[in-house]
Amino acid sequence: MEGKTIVQIKNVRKKIGKKVIINDLTFDVHPGEVFGFLGPNGAGKTTTIKMLLGLMSITKGEIYIDGFNVEKDFEKAIAKVGGIIENPDLYKYLTGYQNLVHFWRMYPDIKRERIDEVIKIVGLEKRIHDKIKTYSLGMRQRLGVAQALLNSPKLLVLDEPTNGLDPAGIHELRNHLRTLASEENIAVIVSSHLLSEMELMCDRVGIIQNGKLVRIQDMKEMLGEEVDSVIALAVTPIESAKAYLESLNSKYKPQIKGKEIEIIESIENIPVLVEKLVEQGIKIYGVHKVQQSLEKKFLEMTGGNEIA
Amino acid sequence: MKLRRMINLVRNENMKLAHSISTWIMMGILVAIIVIVGMLFKFGNNQAPASDWKADITIQNQAIKESINQPEMPKTQKDSLTKDLQTNEYRLKHDIQPIQNNSLWGFVEGASSSLIALISLFAIVMGGRIVANEFSGGTIKLLLIRPSKRWKILLSKYLAVIGYILLMLLVLFLVSFLLGGILFSFKGAGIPYLTNANGKITEVNMVAHIVQVYGLQCIGLLMMVTLAFMISTVFHTSAMAIGIGVFLLTVGNGITMVLSKYTWSKYILFANMDLNQYINGRPLVEGMTMKFSIIVLIGYFIIFNVISYIGFTKRDIVA
Repeated sequence: MEGKTIVQIKNVRKKIGKKVIINDLTFDVHPGEVFGFLGPNGAGKTTTIKMLLGLMSITKGEIYIDGFNVEKDFEKAIAKVGGIIENPDLYKYLTGYQNLVHFWRMYPDIKRERIDEVIKIVGLEKRIHDKIKTYSLGMRQRLGVAQALLNSPKLLVLDEPTNGLDPAGIHELRNHLRTLASEENIAVIVSSHLLSEMELMCDRVGIIQNGKLVRIQDMKEMLGEEVDSVIALAVTPIESAKAYLESLNSKYKPQIKGKEIEIIESIENIPVLVEKLVEQGIKIYGVHKVQQSLEKKFLEMTGGNEIA
Repeated sequence: MKLRRMINLVRNENMKLAHSISTWIMMGILVAIIVIVGMLFKFGNNQAPASDWKADITIQNQAIKESINQPEMPKTQKDSLTKDLQTNEYRLKHDIQPIQNNSLWGFVEGASSSLIALISLFAIVMGGRIVANEFSGGTIKLLLIRPSKRWKILLSKYLAVIGYILLMLLVLFLVSFLLGGILFSFKGAGIPYLTNANGKITEVNMVAHIVQVYGLQCIGLLMMVTLAFMISTVFHTSAMAIGIGVFLLTVGNGITMVLSKYTWSKYILFANMDLNQYINGRPLVEGMTMKFSIIVLIGYFIIFNVISYIGFTKRDIVA
């Protein structure tokens, strides 16, 4: 069924002691999409994911996975979910293969061949019979993905999956998730506090702050629309350049950052702008893009720092 | 189908136990200490040779007869002596030698109480770690996001610990039997054990008697493991569970002894753990009976397990 939702989070609230951690959270996730869950540390990403996976109780509201209520019908709801929460903590004194056998035994009707399949998917054939102790973080992360895929899930939940991974590992994981979502129609929920990762991985991003969903951004829409970027110009004399840019009366005021001037402008307007600056007798040594504007918006929304 | 899933969960726990080194270190220490105790029995003991046991018993019987005839002797003691006398006479009549310390069965039985105390210690460590380690290792998060109810996972862990204890008891029995045979010869293996119920003497297979001896001591063992398991489940730390468990194991009896002058002390767990007090000798606090102790023990057992259940199934996983 197309257009069906796999995850429904309805007015969820989480209170621990007197503190409200999550307040009135509502969103849906559809099959085949990668949903990014973005927010600064402490915003409530992990708490939401733990409620989704039944590790934490839900104070108020409901969560449905594949139509089953997570709290009332846990075994059915979780049967088609795979997850990694925070770090992939596995049994270090067991081998990779034994770890997979361990989790495989917890599912009622999955063929044993599936273990070999998931090992192949994540490409761990050579080291699978070594103890986890000897694995690098990247390999543990791969085994983490393998255990999450054991039950051929309809929903994959990954909490901060890129923590501690090197760029190559992040790239690999990203490709993995995209492939899983598009080829096997799996819905993926990924949380992160880094927007740059989310932009490349996700179809939609939900931004959470202080336990509230601030905005849901469709990444395809965003790429389609004309997006303003932060552009840095290395020019001399810097003061007359600034005076000239201010005289253009654009939406954002130019700012001097060190030896450069930063402006916010659509990429398409840059050549014209450069020509005009040259006409004014200003020397241009460099022009480069600093940030995507969503990132700037995100930083503005979340107060510009990591800890809310 | 449901049973097979439970078996799978227990197999998982067994796999984890079998691949952690501490499991095997404990087993190794157990075997080593059995051997040491065997050596002490063999070479640290100057018991009279077994050949003149009939003469010994005859002298013993005369002494018993004299004591029984004394009017100031309390009735309970008189009964117990009369039983001894009856058993001894049966021995002489049927030529059944009493169990000597430096014999196969003497060693197996004599070594049991101290070695089962050692097993209790290991069992507390095991019970204290099996839940807490999942929290400290962070693996609890991967364990609980499977289609198994939390109480089933908890039960599988409990069963795995019980299974490991049974294995240790079996090792204790087999190793001490073999070692006893090697050190003191297997010749006496067929000697029966004599029970005396109201003057009626029955010959019991010695293995059955040892099982009873082990069984009585295992009641305390089971209670301490369940306690350690509970603490581990509630506080998520093995150190606390092991610490409290070992502390109570060592001083529990002493504390009960001090408190035994108060009547409420009969409700203390440790006052009831030794059911042997009703079989040989007198109860710790007056008015206690076997039935009373069993009810108290069952009560504690249920309370410990209910607390474990609530502690494990009703809480948020913060780790």
